[in-house]
Amino acid sequence: MPKKEVDLKKVAQNVGHTSRATCGACHFNGGGGDAIKHADMSRQLLKPDRNCDVHMGGYDFSCTECHETRNHKISGRSSSVPVAEGETSCQQCHGESPHYCGDLLDHHLDNHAKSIDCNVCHAPVFAKCKPTKTWWDWSKAGDKKRKPKKDKYGKPDYNWKKGEFKWEESAVPDYAWYSGYMNRVLMGDKVDLNLDIINLTSPVGSINDPLSKITPFKIMKGIQAVDADHYHILVPHLYPRNKEDKTAYWKHLDWEKAFVDGMNAVNLEYSGSYKWKETWMYWRLDHEVMPANMALSCVQCHDSLKGERTCNRCHQDNRNVDFKKYTRKGTDFSYMKSKGRDVGHLIDKTDYINFKALGYKGDPIIYGGRFKKLPMGYSQKDKKE
Amino acid sequence: MIKKLFLPVILIIVISGLCLANSWKAPDQEKAKERSKETVPFIKEYVDDCKINRRICLMDAKVSLEDVKDVYFLLDSPVIKEKEDHYEPVRFAHKRHAALTKDCSKCHHFRPKDKDALETTRCSACHQDAFNPERPERIGLKAAYHQQCIACHKDEAKGPTGCKECHLQHVPDHKELVKLPDNADPFQVTAECNRCHDAQAEDMLKTAHWLWKGPSPYTTGHRKDILHGKGTTALNNY
Repeated sequence: MPKKEVDLKKVAQNVGHTSRATCGACHFNGGGGDAIKHADMSRQLLKPDRNCDVHMGGYDFSCTECHETRNHKISGRSSSVPVAEGETSCQQCHGESPHYCGDLLDHHLDNHAKSIDCNVCHAPVFAKCKPTKTWWDWSKAGDKKRKPKKDKYGKPDYNWKKGEFKWEESAVPDYAWYSGYMNRVLMGDKVDLNLDIINLTSPVGSINDPLSKITPFKIMKGIQAVDADHYHILVPHLYPRNKEDKTAYWKHLDWEKAFVDGMNAVNLEYSGSYKWKETWMYWRLDHEVMPANMALSCVQCHDSLKGERTCNRCHQDNRNVDFKKYTRKGTDFSYMKSKGRDVGHLIDKTDYINFKALGYKGDPIIYGGRFKKLPMGYSQKDKKE
Repeated sequence: MIKKLFLPVILIIVISGLCLANSWKAPDQEKAKERSKETVPFIKEYVDDCKINRRICLMDAKVSLEDVKDVYFLLDSPVIKEKEDHYEPVRFAHKRHAALTKDCSKCHHFRPKDKDALETTRCSACHQDAFNPERPERIGLKAAYHQQCIACHKDEAKGPTGCKECHLQHVPDHKELVKLPDNADPFQVTAECNRCHDAQAEDMLKTAHWLWKGPSPYTTGHRKDILHGKGTTALNNY
């Protein structure tokens, strides 16, 4: 129920369109506060800088201009929750061949768009306007005496109710092959306690699947409790229901009571013994798209373009084209650093998305792409192991 | 003299500071808004070229994508607004359309007779008021926009053709429409909304935002299920 002070008549008489403020009232505060859960959404998007998000900051888009609605069903595919009522994609406006300026590079960029998600290049860092929480260790909760320390962003490393945290700002995403489908552990699913890390959500995709694309993710990492005998992820009762509440963790700081009550509330058996386990959640990064001139440049991923030989390995162009300039035009981390972003370590970085971790032998320019090898007579010398 | 200047300067700085703090603006959108408010002199005479000639002229003039300086427009104009104003302006990606059609003559279908004029001109230079008795053959700006966009989208079987696919409809002022006592309680408010929006209320009751569960077509092993969501089975670590 709304607070008593709210003048509901006035509210009803002033109805209007949804906005970043109305949707953001909940979605910017996911995980219990501003920018905590979503790496790419925060209250910063109410009045964003153009470089922070070109759609909202440059063109003043509201959420529903992309997340189109039908009969109050709102399109969009979350990675953190399973429910989806339609799809939203960059392609719905930008098409499958989005690089249209007739630039020398556009042919190559459109080819790239078949294998990599737009935001790999167009949002090369996440949480670039506000730090987001990336580590949450629930097992450390309960120490009321522990004084929270502030990190370099001024964010606390501890809260007795919630445990220990890490925050990141302007962070490099994790990249994975993604086809649109997600694996999820749902309530009551059994998990494998022998694993070092349990993925609560993970993307489905493969380097061998033509429809999968390399996609940027924020991985929310943390430690939480799992039933040691039934292998269920445990649901604690945290927030006191009322003054008489006898089990809430945030009142009694007793995990045992909180798990008994919480699992009872969700109709699942609790064995009485639990283990703290590291869990990860993969969250796709779809917002905070930067202006086109801030997209990653070729050389930031392709280490092989770093030296003197660039496109002129294949192209004997006599139009007096400065290939070197072309391959280096892109995200200027020095500029971002000058604006106060924590990206100093990314200046001059190459192999940005780590090709080997994605299943390539190395830089595809040298070792070949996932489906074809360019006919470029390389000598073994070029393939430095 | 310096002292005399000092106070006004400080005042200006403080006032402009306050204005800046309170008036966030999206620069690209702002530029497009300003442009959409402009009106230009009416072009009376045009060259009555056939389509092919027109295209050849534009090609001969070497009009290319690089000439497209205005990447983005809002299709809106005081010419339309003074007659009726039911919808928000339409976002128009000018350069993208130029690139996709690869044919400027599709929209820039005639040119001014004045030899010194540019090959391409704004829609609103030739299309202004509808039913102008001096130019009865010339359709108005609103009709020109609609016929041009919708016809091409239909021909190409690509792009929006319905009103609300391009426009956001203005919300009517609800000050008089909403009839509620002061200190209305939430149930009274809902009932009053439903007096007109009953169908929408029925829709709302079937959504994930209301039920906190719904179809999970992209979750492996649960693609046909309709009961997953935060209200039922979703787990997290935060």
